[in-house]
Amino acid sequence: MSALCFVAASMSSCKRGHDSTSWEFAPNMYLPVGYEPYSQVSKNNINADGKNMREPVPGTVSRRNYQTTFGAGDSAVVDLMLYNVPKDSIEIAERVLVNPVPNNEKALVEGKALYGQYCQHCHGEGGEGNGLVAEQYKGVPNYKADAYLNMNDGHIFHVITHGKGRMWPHGSQMTPEERWKIVHYVHKLQKS
Amino acid sequence: MKSLNFLKSSFIIRFTLCVGLLYAGQLAAQDGDAANGETLFKNNCASCHNPGDQVVVGPGLKGIQQRRDLAWLVKWVKNPNGVIASGDQYAVDLYNKYGKAQMTAFPSYGEKEVKDILAYVEKYNTAPAVVAVPGGGAAQPAGTTSGPSDLFTYLLVALLIVMLLVLGVLMTIVSVLSKAVTGTEGTQATGETFMERLRGGLTTFAQNKAVRTASVWFFILMATKATLDGMYGIGIQQGYAPKQPISFSHKLHAGQYKIDCNYCHTGVNRGKSAHIPSANICMNCHGVIKKESPEIQKIYAAVEANKPVEWVRVHNLPDLAYFNHAQHVNVGGVQCVQCHGEIEKMEVVQQRSSLTMGWCIDCHRKTEVNTKGNDYYTKLVSLHKTTTKESLKVADIGGLECSKCHY
Repeated sequence: MSALCFVAASMSSCKRGHDSTSWEFAPNMYLPVGYEPYSQVSKNNINADGKNMREPVPGTVSRRNYQTTFGAGDSAVVDLMLYNVPKDSIEIAERVLVNPVPNNEKALVEGKALYGQYCQHCHGEGGEGNGLVAEQYKGVPNYKADAYLNMNDGHIFHVITHGKGRMWPHGSQMTPEERWKIVHYVHKLQKS
Repeated sequence: MKSLNFLKSSFIIRFTLCVGLLYAGQLAAQDGDAANGETLFKNNCASCHNPGDQVVVGPGLKGIQQRRDLAWLVKWVKNPNGVIASGDQYAVDLYNKYGKAQMTAFPSYGEKEVKDILAYVEKYNTAPAVVAVPGGGAAQPAGTTSGPSDLFTYLLVALLIVMLLVLGVLMTIVSVLSKAVTGTEGTQATGETFMERLRGGLTTFAQNKAVRTASVWFFILMATKATLDGMYGIGIQQGYAPKQPISFSHKLHAGQYKIDCNYCHTGVNRGKSAHIPSANICMNCHGVIKKESPEIQKIYAAVEANKPVEWVRVHNLPDLAYFNHAQHVNVGGVQCVQCHGEIEKMEVVQQRSSLTMGWCIDCHRKTEVNTKGNDYYTKLVSLHKTTTKESLKVADIGGLECSKCHY
């Protein structure tokens, strides 16, 4: 009886703060056995910096499991989308890069969704450079500006990947295929 | 008086003449179309330049004609990089002064376009009052509509006065009555006897055996309930909101600035984890915005030391259960808020859902599978319809199978 009282008291009295994870039953079943990149409680003795995450081996190219064939029938193209255009060579990108994603309704719908996720807060819903962040960031151009109207697919792709002017590179956040879909949508915004 | 009046009028005439001449002179010097210039400026230049003297990204354009001549300006607008590369000292200084941000080239622009823009800049700066009026005019009606109307205020005040009057009347009645009562009341003896009677009654009540047993049982049951409730809470981290190494506010980023969750949590439709953004994603904006803030300096320090920021994980699903973000977001079409709560209103992120197995199962039982336009499900749906009238739920396609999550 007294033991029960004690348990009850200790249970109800430990109104934990927001900083505590409270009681855990059998923590060894909660904590990952394998090396999880985002969950780590103790130092990793294998990696030099003590973290589970490792950087890729220098010189390796990540090969995601993405689509490589686009279009149908005779117009189908195979593109591995492995580009190696340096940041300062936007002219090469303009000349060489070709958008492998066919410009159709599906690509535009996906492009619009991706634009909403990655571009809209700065470039604005209509691409007029009036996004909510742009008010703070300053210098976000209007896609319909005379200097931008004739920019080709390769140019826009290169700008998304490596940034330009005040814009920083966004290549790490999107696959090349996603960037090409955004390119289609940006052209649509310029025409609207 | 007469002479004074004459003096005044002559002054006014001379003044207006002067202003008129000045204005005409400016127009003659400009001979640009200010209206066209305004459209050109707003579409092409306004994102980086202010027509006044404010610095946005590049310098404000007020007094630009005094600083540079037309030929230089045309050359600059057509190809700024070319002018810098040619070693023009003014251009190089300008480039270095404004953070080495290259101005966009406008190769299609000639003398006419530049003149039009200059005319607009001139007009903007000579008539600041005209520019200020629309803003003020727009603000005023907004102010009147947002405030309460006069009639409403009067009504409120009248109501308040009536209520105060009623209160006053009530107070007087109460005081009069209480005086009358104390006047007829006897000595304190009756009060004491009442207290004694009460004490006696309570003692007999407490000595009653049935009451004692009932209260002991009540206590035991309450204690058991508290224990069981406490035990149910083991392993549940709902409400967990740890302090993070950098006081990043989702309320500001996702709420006020409406940055999509996906912008930073790039893995949410690609893999198991939604991804914690790497410092380069922070730098996409904070390379420019609020660089001097001590919190943002912590990101700079992490970048310089080439060490990731050690955030504290908020949602700790036990390792014995497998969860994949991509499956839920891409295939299930589950919105972030459904599990994570209104993150865009949280200053510090808190675990809103319990993340218990019951919570998972509950959703799997209730959620319908989106089978529209998906041939994969056609046969499954027709088969499902032969046995039940209920729609196809996640539970029907294996959402309750142990090995789906525990393996």
